Amino acid sequence: MKKGIAIISSIVCILVGLLFGLILLCIIDPADSISLGFSPLILSGLSTAFDPNWIAAGTNLMKLGQEIANAMPIIMTGLSVAFAFKMGLFNIGAAGQYTLGAFGALYCALVLKCPWYVCLLAATLLGAIWGMLPGLLKAYLNINEVISCIMLNWIGLYGVNTIMCSNDKMFNSSQAKAYQVGVVNKSALIPDSIFGWNISETFNYAATNTGIIFAVVIAIIILIVLNKTTFGYELKACGYNKDAAKYAGINDKRNIILAMVISGALAGFGAGLFYLSGTVQWNPLDSTALPAAGFDGITVALLGLVNPIGCIFSGLFISHISVGGTMMQQSIFPSEISQLITGLIVYLCAFSPIMQEKLTKLFEAHKKIKHDVNKEEK
Amino acid sequence: MSAGLLILIKFTLLSGIVLMYVALGGCFSEHSGVINIALEGVMVIGGLFGILTVCCIPKNLPSFLIVTISILVAMISGMIYSSLLAFASINLKADQTIGGTALNILATAIALVVVKHYNSTITTNNAQSPKLNYDNSLFIFNVGPFTLNVFIILGIVLLVLSYFVLYKTRFGLHLRACGEHPQAADSVGINVYKMRWAGVLISGALAGIGGMAYIVPSVQEWNFEVGVGGMGFLALAVMIFGKWNPGYIFLGSLFFAVFKSLANIYDSTFLASFHLTKEIYNMMPFIASLVVLMFTSKNSKAPKAEGIPYDKGMR
Amino acid sequence: MADYVIEMLGISKYFPGIKANDNITLQLKRGEIHALLGENGAGKSTLMSILFGLYQPDEGVIKKDGKVVKINNPNDANDLRIGMVHQHFKLVECYSVLDNIILGVEPNVAGILQKQEARSKIMELSEKYGLQIDPDAIVENITVGMQQRVEILKMLYRDNDVLIFDEPTAVLTPQEITELMSIMKKLATEGKSILFISHKLAEIMTVADRCSVLRKGKYIGTVDIKDTTAEGLSTMMVGRKVNLKLEKKEATPGEVILDVNNLTVASNSSKKDAVKNVSFNVKRGEIVCIAGIEGNGQAELIQAITGLSKQKKGKLTLCDKDISHESIRYRSEHGMSHIPEDRHKHGLVLDYNLAQNIVLQRYREPEFSKFGFIKFDAVKKYAEKLIQKFDVRCGQGAETIVRSMSGGNQQKAIIAREIDKNPELLITVQPTRGLDVGAIEYIHKAILEQRDSGKAILLVSLELDEVMNLSDRILVMYEGELVGEFKSSEVDTETLGLYMTGAKRDNITKEATK
Repeated sequence: MKKGIAIISSIVCILVGLLFGLILLCIIDPADSISLGFSPLILSGLSTAFDPNWIAAGTNLMKLGQEIANAMPIIMTGLSVAFAFKMGLFNIGAAGQYTLGAFGALYCALVLKCPWYVCLLAATLLGAIWGMLPGLLKAYLNINEVISCIMLNWIGLYGVNTIMCSNDKMFNSSQAKAYQVGVVNKSALIPDSIFGWNISETFNYAATNTGIIFAVVIAIIILIVLNKTTFGYELKACGYNKDAAKYAGINDKRNIILAMVISGALAGFGAGLFYLSGTVQWNPLDSTALPAAGFDGITVALLGLVNPIGCIFSGLFISHISVGGTMMQQSIFPSEISQLITGLIVYLCAFSPIMQEKLTKLFEAHKKIKHDVNKEEK
Repeated sequence: MSAGLLILIKFTLLSGIVLMYVALGGCFSEHSGVINIALEGVMVIGGLFGILTVCCIPKNLPSFLIVTISILVAMISGMIYSSLLAFASINLKADQTIGGTALNILATAIALVVVKHYNSTITTNNAQSPKLNYDNSLFIFNVGPFTLNVFIILGIVLLVLSYFVLYKTRFGLHLRACGEHPQAADSVGINVYKMRWAGVLISGALAGIGGMAYIVPSVQEWNFEVGVGGMGFLALAVMIFGKWNPGYIFLGSLFFAVFKSLANIYDSTFLASFHLTKEIYNMMPFIASLVVLMFTSKNSKAPKAEGIPYDKGMR
Repeated sequence: MADYVIEMLGISKYFPGIKANDNITLQLKRGEIHALLGENGAGKSTLMSILFGLYQPDEGVIKKDGKVVKINNPNDANDLRIGMVHQHFKLVECYSVLDNIILGVEPNVAGILQKQEARSKIMELSEKYGLQIDPDAIVENITVGMQQRVEILKMLYRDNDVLIFDEPTAVLTPQEITELMSIMKKLATEGKSILFISHKLAEIMTVADRCSVLRKGKYIGTVDIKDTTAEGLSTMMVGRKVNLKLEKKEATPGEVILDVNNLTVASNSSKKDAVKNVSFNVKRGEIVCIAGIEGNGQAELIQAITGLSKQKKGKLTLCDKDISHESIRYRSEHGMSHIPEDRHKHGLVLDYNLAQNIVLQRYREPEFSKFGFIKFDAVKKYAEKLIQKFDVRCGQGAETIVRSMSGGNQQKAIIAREIDKNPELLITVQPTRGLDVGAIEYIHKAILEQRDSGKAILLVSLELDEVMNLSDRILVMYEGELVGEFKSSEVDTETLGLYMTGAKRDNITKEATK
């Protein structure tokens, strides 16, 4: 019942967000708003999947593949934000941890020429360290984690770009981007196949690889940690009721730091998955913009009801919409409309607790009426 | 050397004034009891609509009018946008941090959609461009060796006005009481909800101008993909550093602006001999603010009730 | 002119489940100091909240100067010149004294403050009533006594003529109390009418003209102070206790389990020490009760013993082990159980289910976890056993979310958890607060059973009924000190009342408690 209401509230957020999107499309160009705008936006990869022309060309699953590839990092940052949330911490620093993770992965891949699992490990480790800092500041100096995370985001971004640009093994000055992992060090690419199933080939999209399986497995692990272990039990107790946790003898300082370390590790891992997938290149010239995946994590976590499995679905949904954004007629509709819709959805998610309360009351009132009616009939 | 110093002063003033506007905005909001983490987003929106006004307004109007109207538009758009935060956090008692973060994410998206749509309406070939071109000559004038802009003048006026409003008027006394002890304010008949709305709206107005002041005077083309590059967040640090007081905020914004301007001048002065990259200097203000936070956290002058939704039933 | 400045006639106020005020009548004469006396929960605060417009009465009328008035909010009360000094001051701490006094009624020209005007009026008032203040001092830097004078000036500045003081002496030092008394008398001679809420008999006897007594939401009567004695008032306040007779054997105390030695603890709310040099012990097989009126240091004492806060000095010994600096978990694992006062804040994680709450301190024990994984089957089985044994009623058994359970059953769950830990020492604070008679009886029986099975029990209670019924030994706490020690069979509630209100005190030495 409670879970059902929560899911309904998330769906309401999505619907209202989409409705605003539709209104916006109509304002921009009412004539083409559905056919060239809203329809590709919400169908996204699905529109090509069943299109006979694309099937004939054998590329019909490509867009779906792209959705999955883009969902990997944001599922991970979503898990990162959700995990900290369970402890009552707002990890707005996922973007910074993600940046550090990307750096760790690329450094190991391009400079040290390590195999992919070492690169992933490095990404995770650096993300964890960057997450630990606000944790330490919170636990020992009582600095609000939101402010320190924001500062660390920018410090991380500029720091990474400094090191990356000054290292000619990483930075391709002719392209003004980092080198492509797939070109320099093929062993650093995350494998395409698992148990003989080549995921990239199936989707005909190089970046779609076993990473998505990692993301799903980790979501399940996080679910188990949160719900089955003593650590998860302590963490949630701190998040729900700090005083009762203290009364029970739980060390909240230790848990704050640990929660932030794990949260950072998850974000870093996500960056690893994304940058070791082969197609994307780090672009230091975007140096004044933090990676969007970090902030998408907030959307994913909130929309996914701070539940690890929920994060998988919401991550896929957000990715679905943003790929859909690029499939609209770009000369009329800017692809950022999908970002705008996601932004709106986060805003609406902030109301979700109030909405759930109202919905619960509504249901209870409805039940009561039904009950009364039944009584009268008898 | 003196030329280098001159450039340093120029850039310090440029970004110092911006930080001051936005930090003053944050100051009003937090004094009323609402944490405004959406300042960054409000700046983007204010800058966007301010500049669009400059682009669209008939060029034959007197320049004074063009400047005034565009700044007013920046202000009002900032107020409208921040009313989303006010509604969420005051009326619906939603989490202020989540609401603010949502508005930050939303702002960049809105800016990109609007700019791209605008560009596609004026020409057909650069429909994808996230950049706006505009003429900033009306905002800039020279006094001796200094290049000043209208935002510096306006900023000084608003600084004095802010101090006066916060500490010398009935409104200011009521506003600050709502951020410190809303129950006390309520018990003497002050409408806490109204004052908090006022605080958030004023912060929106100031951050709106701040966004325009950041973009317009220094360049003639702005890429909205980068938003305002963390200036809104830095302004939050300036506000904390400035102990929520306009006077200290002024000093704090100059202090942070010096760090910020190092990135603009490092190659033309003695700093070049350190062989550090621009990125390192860009990092400086953020490191400085983190250090400042570490030393001020134990003895914070933050309004006591900030961040806590006020519920009339809970007295 | 009417005889009474304020009349509250036949006031009743119901809250879900309780009658906070039941047909209460209170009449305040012009220029008198009228005390309102009653135990915790007698309905004093509710009555004053009604007068100040925070609550609306369900029945009854309020008259001001003989005319029926409706007070919907504090602003209406202000307009009727009714002012109140709240128990927790409503002052903006970073404002100056002057700003606090004028807040809400500032003299201004076009919105610009005219403080000079205010200052002269404040200084005039300050002189007239002997209320010494420094108008430019910042409130957070001044003494609690001066803060209170600021609150009084706030009322005078608004020309209030009915002044309500809600337990004004709770936070003051003895000197400040004497001063407040003389200020109140001065205010009364100047024609102000004062309502003075208190449960300190000595103060009422010194300062009040008349006194109205409430007990359990009911109006008991109004007496002239000059016609009564402290004993008389005490009897009115506590009444004749209806004893819910408990089958209770004589206690057979064994060895000392908890020894508290010269314990001093800082206060949660003010800069004073809340517990001053307190020493006592609790032996196996006895129930020791700390009696006293709320806010006399009991909460801080228990926090220090259980480890929730650090003591300033003093030594704590549990079963011959020094636990003065040990963690909460250590204390819990070495034989201490704690039924906390606030079950929602400390006792339960409301969003966890019953089974998860049952193992709140014990989830790490091998019985309930293995390799860091919680054995939910074992936890559930254990919870179901306790649900049976302690008769906890819950909709979905061990999986009921605790938030959805009734208060009585939540409390039973905590008691089940703490008792089944098989502790040496059971600390229980207000174990029956807000519960119905059935639950109270059940919990009392459970605590007695624990005593009879040889546990040491430390009970903190504000209810004299409970104190008299349960305990074997009673320690009375007043202003952070132990002022009396009794065997429960050798004392009556009236005497306890005198000690609790500070009208009487003994010198308790460490030796006497042994």
